Amino acid sequence: MTGRIFEKAVLILLAVVIIFPVLYALSASFFSPVDFTDSHAHLLPSSPDFSNYSMALSNRYYPRFIANSLITSLLLAALRTVISVLAAFAFTHLRFRGSRTVMIILLTTMFIPPDALLYPNYSTIASLGLLDTYAAIILPSVFSASSLLLLTGAFSSSDRDVYMASKIDGAGDFQYIVRILVPMAGSFVIAVFLQTFITGFSSYLWPLLVTSRMSMRTVQVGISMLGFAEAGEYGAQFAAIIMITLPFLILLGVLRKRIVDILSSGGMET
Amino acid sequence: MLTLSDMRTENGKAYVLLMPSLILAVMFSFYPLVKSVAGSFLTISQQGEVRGFAGLMNYISLFSDPAFPASIRHTLLFILMFLPLNTALTLLAAILTRRKTRWGGIAEYIFFMPMAVSLSSLSLIFREMFRGRVSVINQILDTDIAWLDSPGTALLVLAFLGVFLDFGIDYILLLSSFRRIDRNILEAAALDGAGNLRTLISIELPEIRTMLSVTVFLAAKDALLISAPVMILTQGGPFRSTETIMYYYYLEAFRSGNRGAESTITTLITIIAVIIMAMIASRRKNDWKNI
Repeated sequence: MTGRIFEKAVLILLAVVIIFPVLYALSASFFSPVDFTDSHAHLLPSSPDFSNYSMALSNRYYPRFIANSLITSLLLAALRTVISVLAAFAFTHLRFRGSRTVMIILLTTMFIPPDALLYPNYSTIASLGLLDTYAAIILPSVFSASSLLLLTGAFSSSDRDVYMASKIDGAGDFQYIVRILVPMAGSFVIAVFLQTFITGFSSYLWPLLVTSRMSMRTVQVGISMLGFAEAGEYGAQFAAIIMITLPFLILLGVLRKRIVDILSSGGMET
Repeated sequence: MLTLSDMRTENGKAYVLLMPSLILAVMFSFYPLVKSVAGSFLTISQQGEVRGFAGLMNYISLFSDPAFPASIRHTLLFILMFLPLNTALTLLAAILTRRKTRWGGIAEYIFFMPMAVSLSSLSLIFREMFRGRVSVINQILDTDIAWLDSPGTALLVLAFLGVFLDFGIDYILLLSSFRRIDRNILEAAALDGAGNLRTLISIELPEIRTMLSVTVFLAAKDALLISAPVMILTQGGPFRSTETIMYYYYLEAFRSGNRGAESTITTLITIIAVIIMAMIASRRKNDWKNI
C-alpha cells in the first residue's frame, strides 16, 4: 500500500514539473510589468492584467507573423501530403524499373540531418532569388522520407484487385487515388498532414535564416522581435506565446487517445 | 498479365509521380551534402569561388581554432547531462502511466503537453523562469543562483530545456510500447504471484528495451545537433561556455562566412549523425522489412 502511495506521489511530482513551464507562461501572461521586476519573483499575478492580450493582438506585427506561419505551414503540409501520396501510390501500385533503387535513394535522406545542411541550402535558396519568400521557408522540408514511409506502409495493405477493377471501369489513377485510396488510408493521410503542419508551424531556425524583412517573419521567429521585452512588457510576450500554444494544446487533448491507440496497436511508428 | 507496353507506360507514369520527391531530395539533401563534403577538401573564398585543392587544411585549421574543440566539449557535456536525465524522466513517466487508470488520462495529457509548445516559446519561457537571481525557480527551490550567468548552471538549464523539447515524443514511443505488450503474459505473471515491480523488471522492461534504445539514440541525435535553444537562451554565453558544435557552426557559417569551417563541420556532423541513425534503423528493422 505504501508502495502505491509512493508511486502516486512520484507521478504527481513529475506531472507538476512537466506542466510547470506552461502554467507559468499562462500565469505570466496576466502579470503586470511590476510583477516581473519586483524584489521577489511572482508565481501568480498580483492582480490579473488582461491588457497583455490586447497589447499582443494590437501589435502591428503579431497578427502578420501568425498569418505567415499559418500560410507557410498549411502550404507545406498540403504539398508534402500530395507528393507523398503520389510517390507512395507509385511504389505500392505501379511496377516500374528501378523501384527499389529509387526507394532506397529517397529513404537515405532520413540519415542526413537537415540541420547540418543549413548553409548550403541557404545558398541554394539565395541563388534562386527566393530569400524572404514563402517558398524559401517551405521548399527544403516539403519532401520527407518518414512521411513517404508511413504512407507507403498504409497503401501497401490496399487491395490491388480494387485498383484493377477501378481501372477496368475506366477510372483514371487520379480518380482512384482521390476516391478510393486516400479515403481508405484516411487516418494516415491526416496524420501526415497534421504532423507536417505542426512541425512547420513550430520550426524556428530555418525561417530565421531565410527571412530578414519583418513582414516575412514567422511567429516562432518573430515572437522575440515584437519589442515587448525591450519595452519591459514581458507580460505581452507571454500572452503572445499562450495564444499560439493554446490551439495546439487543445488539438493534442482531442487527439491524444487516438494517437496512443494507433501507436499501441502497432499500426505505425514515427 | 502485364504486356510490354503496359510496363513501359507504368515506368513513365511512376517516374512522373516520383519526380517531385526525387527533385527535392536531391536538391536539399544530396546536393548540399556532396557540395559540403567536396568543399571541405577545397579552398573556397567567402564569395564561393573555388581557389584550389586544400587537402586536409580545412580540418586542421578547424581543430586549431580553440573554440571548435571547446564546442565539442560543451556538446559532450550537454549530452552527458541531458541524455541520462531525459531517459530517466521519460521512462519514469511511461512506467507510472503504463496501465490505464481512471485519472491516468490526465497524467498522460500532461506528459503530452511539452509537444504542443514550440521550441522558441519554450526557450523564451525558460529564459524568464531562470532569469537573474530573482527568478521563479530560485523562489521555488529556495536557492540564490544566477542560473544563466555561470557556465556550469547555464549548460544544465539548457539540458533541462532539451528534456522538455524531447519529452513528449519519447514518452509517447515508450508508453505505446508498454501498451503493446501482450496482456496474456502480464496476466500469467500476475497469476504466478509476481508483484508489480517484479513484472516490470523481468517482463515489461525487457519487452520495451528496443524502443528504449531507439529513444535514447533519437535523443542523442537531437542533442548532437542542438543550436536553436542556445541561440535564444544563452547566445553561447556566459563566456562562450554554452557554445555547442552547431552553434559554433552557425556563427562560422552565417556570421563569419568561414566556408572551410562550415563545410568541414557539415561533413563531420553528418558522419556522426549517419552512424547514430544507422543504429536506430538496425533496431527498427521490422519497420524496414516491408519496403
